[in-house]
Amino acid sequence: MNKALRNPITYIAFILPTLALYALFFVYPVIVSFIYGLYQWDGITDKVFIGLDNFIRLWTDKVFLKSLLNNFYFLVFSLVVNIPLVFLISIVISKVSRMRDFYKSAVFVPVVISTATVAILFGVLYNYDSGLINQFIRLIFPESWAREWLSDPKLAILSILIANAWQNVGFFIVLCLAAILNIPKEIVEAAKIDGVNAWNETWTITLPLVRPILFVMLLLSVSGTMKVLDIVQIMTNGGPFQSTEVMSTYMLKVGFRSMELGYGSAIGVAMFLIILVLTFILNRVTKHEEVQY
Amino acid sequence: MLKFRKGQVASHTFLWAYVLFTLFPLVWLLMTSFKTNREITVNTWAFPTSFNFDNYRAAWETAKIGFYAWNSLKVTVIACLVTVLFAAMTSFALSRMKFGRANKLVYNFIMFGLLVPSGALFIPLYRLIQTLTTEYGIKLYDSHLGLILVYSTYALPITVFIIYAFMLSIPNELEEAGIMDGLSATGIFVRVVLPISMPALVTVTILSFIGNWNEYILSQLFITSETLRTLPTGMASFNDGYRTNFASLSAAVIISIIPVLIVYFFLQRQIIEGMTAGSVKG
Repeated sequence: MNKALRNPITYIAFILPTLALYALFFVYPVIVSFIYGLYQWDGITDKVFIGLDNFIRLWTDKVFLKSLLNNFYFLVFSLVVNIPLVFLISIVISKVSRMRDFYKSAVFVPVVISTATVAILFGVLYNYDSGLINQFIRLIFPESWAREWLSDPKLAILSILIANAWQNVGFFIVLCLAAILNIPKEIVEAAKIDGVNAWNETWTITLPLVRPILFVMLLLSVSGTMKVLDIVQIMTNGGPFQSTEVMSTYMLKVGFRSMELGYGSAIGVAMFLIILVLTFILNRVTKHEEVQY
Repeated sequence: MLKFRKGQVASHTFLWAYVLFTLFPLVWLLMTSFKTNREITVNTWAFPTSFNFDNYRAAWETAKIGFYAWNSLKVTVIACLVTVLFAAMTSFALSRMKFGRANKLVYNFIMFGLLVPSGALFIPLYRLIQTLTTEYGIKLYDSHLGLILVYSTYALPITVFIIYAFMLSIPNELEEAGIMDGLSATGIFVRVVLPISMPALVTVTILSFIGNWNEYILSQLFITSETLRTLPTGMASFNDGYRTNFASLSAAVIISIIPVLIVYFFLQRQIIEGMTAGSVKG
């Protein structure tokens, strides 16, 4: 009866624009990046096929390994600092009876600001002479505690991690809060009747029941931290002395400053594969975990 | 002032402390934006002695924020419309039209896009844009058209994902009524399915609007002319040039975030929902 919905011309007309854009600007670059990765190429002279040499070179490239390590700092910081903080704040918000919406809206503010702006803002906050952080330190502690937050190679990565957390934590709080508020009231009330106190309720009811959202946050953390770029590029661009280099800033330097397009593409492919492998592992570890109310 | 339920005072104190930590940098920056550079260093904590708008005038003129914001708005809105229109058409075809195997194939093909981080593709994408410009005469490099096409494309998978899920849940009866009335597939799409899908369309519009508005790196790679820069790139280059001129810099940052905060103030619920929609279902 519904001939209308079997009209092949309409069908093709409806999917073709999407497929055309997608094939040209997405699928083609994906395929080509694997191919470029096998060549030595400066973008001007002819490509030279070198097989897997670019990928082997990654293992011995100290700067790449340092970048990878920094990406893992981002991930570890996210797991050890951001996510526990997210849980703590979401649980507290879910427990108060007033102003929940206000807290939710307030913590989300940094999320809507562009990363470029956040990077500039923190550049100002971290300034040695008149930045907020050092001036705060000078208020309480001796002058010698003031630091060059972004130009000290030991501190720069930590400074970026904090700025990054400041921007992203609100997003996770909103996700986590929604999951907590989704837990059926009956469960919590039944527990209260059984005499479970707030502390035990958190550990035995709330946390186990919001595990799916923890999984979502882990997935987002993995992909977010492995491809982090904007905030690092604007705040330090990998400096000082490449102490804050991450895979993507290094890829752009290799590709556009040193004009090694082949090697740069190989770094991009490596980044993609690392995210894929971590996601796969995460999926396996948390498999078969369905929450049922 | 506010009455809290007994036993919740500690919780509220804790939350206020966190809100202060989140918002204070912005408030401080607002105060700073009215000070002179000397005042910033000497009186970091004090309120500005006077509300002079010199910094704002300087920032507006040298940072050309209004100009960049206009560029951003143009690129953002057009890319957003392209994404939502194309994704809605595709989602309709895949979820409501009767092409079983093709539907599944095309859907999975597009969902593959959620797997690959766009960051890994900058080099081949850059070459592609350049080649199309120099060898085929399609001016995508250093043009808004290039940015619009790339932004539209990279927002497609998540947009299709959200709209498709929504359209799949629309009951058959509604479109059957449309068929009885003799509507074509296009008619059903425009008159029946699109109006019902409004909530999903609002969500994806917000999602792609904010994504495009805040996008930095692609615009930095593909735009070389100063007059074509978008707001985030314009701000970043202003930052490079005025790193020590805090007064102007903070005024520039404030100008650039005020419109965002105003929109956020009025559309909080929709924005929060829109921005988090993709990750919960994904």
